[in-house]
Amino acid sequence: MASAPSKLYADDVSLLMVLLDTNPLFWSTSSLPFSNFLSHVLSFLNSILLLNQLNQVAVIATGYNSCDYIFDSSVSTSRGLENGRMPALCSNLLQKLEEFVVRDEQLCKEGSENGLASSLLSGYVAIMNAIFSAQRSMVPIDSCYLGSNNSAFLQQASYITGGVYLKPQQPDGLFQYLSTVFATDLHSRTFLQLPKSVGVDFRASKEDSRKDGRPLESRRKDSRKNDPNIQLASSV
Amino acid sequence: MPQVRIIAKNFMDMVASLPAMKLDNLYSNAFICEAILRSLPPLAKKYVLQMLCIDGPISAKSMQEWVLADGASKHKVAVDRLLQLRIFTETVDRKRETSYRLNPVFQSNLQKLLVSGEVLPGEPLPSSITARLPSLEELDVFAIEQWECFMLQLINSSQAERPSNISSSTMKVFQRGLLTQRDKEAPRLTESGFQFLDRGVDPADLISFLLELSFHVTGEAYNISSLTDIQRETIKDLADLGLVKLQQGRKESWFIPSKLATNLSMSLTDSSSRKQGFVVVETNFRMYAYSTSKLHCEILRLFSRIEYQLPNLIVAAITKESLYNAFENGITAEQIISFLQQNAHPRVAERIPSVPENVTDQMRLWEADLNRVEMIPAHCYDEFPSREVFEGACEFAREGNGFLWEDSKKMRLIVKAEIHKNMREYLSRSK
Repeated sequence: MASAPSKLYADDVSLLMVLLDTNPLFWSTSSLPFSNFLSHVLSFLNSILLLNQLNQVAVIATGYNSCDYIFDSSVSTSRGLENGRMPALCSNLLQKLEEFVVRDEQLCKEGSENGLASSLLSGYVAIMNAIFSAQRSMVPIDSCYLGSNNSAFLQQASYITGGVYLKPQQPDGLFQYLSTVFATDLHSRTFLQLPKSVGVDFRASKEDSRKDGRPLESRRKDSRKNDPNIQLASSV
Repeated sequence: MPQVRIIAKNFMDMVASLPAMKLDNLYSNAFICEAILRSLPPLAKKYVLQMLCIDGPISAKSMQEWVLADGASKHKVAVDRLLQLRIFTETVDRKRETSYRLNPVFQSNLQKLLVSGEVLPGEPLPSSITARLPSLEELDVFAIEQWECFMLQLINSSQAERPSNISSSTMKVFQRGLLTQRDKEAPRLTESGFQFLDRGVDPADLISFLLELSFHVTGEAYNISSLTDIQRETIKDLADLGLVKLQQGRKESWFIPSKLATNLSMSLTDSSSRKQGFVVVETNFRMYAYSTSKLHCEILRLFSRIEYQLPNLIVAAITKESLYNAFENGITAEQIISFLQQNAHPRVAERIPSVPENVTDQMRLWEADLNRVEMIPAHCYDEFPSREVFEGACEFAREGNGFLWEDSKKMRLIVKAEIHKNMREYLSRSK
């Protein structure tokens, strides 16, 4: 399948959706501790908001069983320092994230009897739906993948939608990767050298792909239109 | 060396044209760093972000590799702008390799912002003190009213509904600065507009105050006692312009920033800041303006003859006399044409050209009529002692780029006035 033609953008205003994989199965084995990972991501979110007054950021956490919004820059108006020390963005996001992880864990206990097979299948359909509608509305899906093997799913998603797939070689310098590659607005992408896909695995995905670490998936788009994909993406 | 010349089109451009020393001082304020970053071209922003965590210099060559081949011109513009703003410092090593590094003060300020997120310059007053604040719509209306009233007074002081508190002397400063460009005025401060605020106060202080103001939240109330004396003095003028609204409570008084203030540091592309147009120009030099604004009417009056004024429509004619009036005031045909094009009614804005060609051509011709004679102050020399001296003098004038005319038979020479002094020195030497 050919990758999507890119839209022309007149300015550098963007809406960034970040999907964080909080799957404990992956993070317990990762070389990069989750807390370090989060601090890289928080700086990244701050940098997006810093670049343009009109930029917006939303963060969705995807856990083992469910997913939910944990941050939305258009809702949280109280910026600045809260409780004396912690910046508002951090404290809001961390609090929501914690609530989410607890909820997700409980769901996991309740759902263990029902078996996961059916949810996996519907999950697959939903993911493909999300990818195709992103392609249709020319919303690039960027993937930053921290696991050991490559994710065929995300490779394909990024390739089809004209986004960037990147597997950082040195996860300790994650912020540099994020700011260099993923913070690029769509306007600048037309004349910047970005990592190209080296070979996409086009085979149909195996079912176990869900167990791979999928720490960060970001998509950006023109902020002036409504995103039809958010609903689909949240059922991942 | 940087190639782009900054023409102050908006507030941020004006900041960028400050002298180097002043800029370096400004960067100690984190708000200014943020505002400057946001005002940069997209590619330049990207470079800054990319280099934010890199302490050493980066060679120009490796930076070149960041862009694709067809982005080379954008790359150059971005780097030049960064150099001009002294965000980048350039070093050339022994092998003549150029490298750039970020201004360390700027860099550390932005790094802090990355960690802490955006910080607001001040805490808004709680609603228990301020009781009822104006809604955002009310504030917008207030801001636009103030601005239009001020603009009206500038253009034609008799038309203003109520006299504003701006003293006549500052008004004059404004008028002097704005006279040549007032027909293009959008609600924003221009460089010349800025001069009026600049009364014995360091412009850097004012700029940092204005930029800080732009990071306040629109519609929230902030205590005036948190300001310095200079700022308190300035804020009264800003209230007259509609940038802030001042209110007085029982004990405290506070200011509420309007959109005009918070948009100061925003540099948007033309398309996003453009408002809906209202002017239709016909090929018979008739102009229909769908507007209820007195200001619009006065602006049109600057270069056209108003024929009818209906509640929501102004009918005017562009005539030779009305245009000569405008030219006398220092307004150029190009400015009028671009005003008409930028404010074209949506019905005609789609068309190319949006203003009929015969009208624009005629306007340019009428303007050219006035400029048939060009005046250059000059000095005439004659009675040269010898032909050699005369020819030497001609040569000298040509080299100095001041030569205007010669008559070699009668040995007479006319040169521009600016090289008169050098010429006299030259002639006394050659005697």
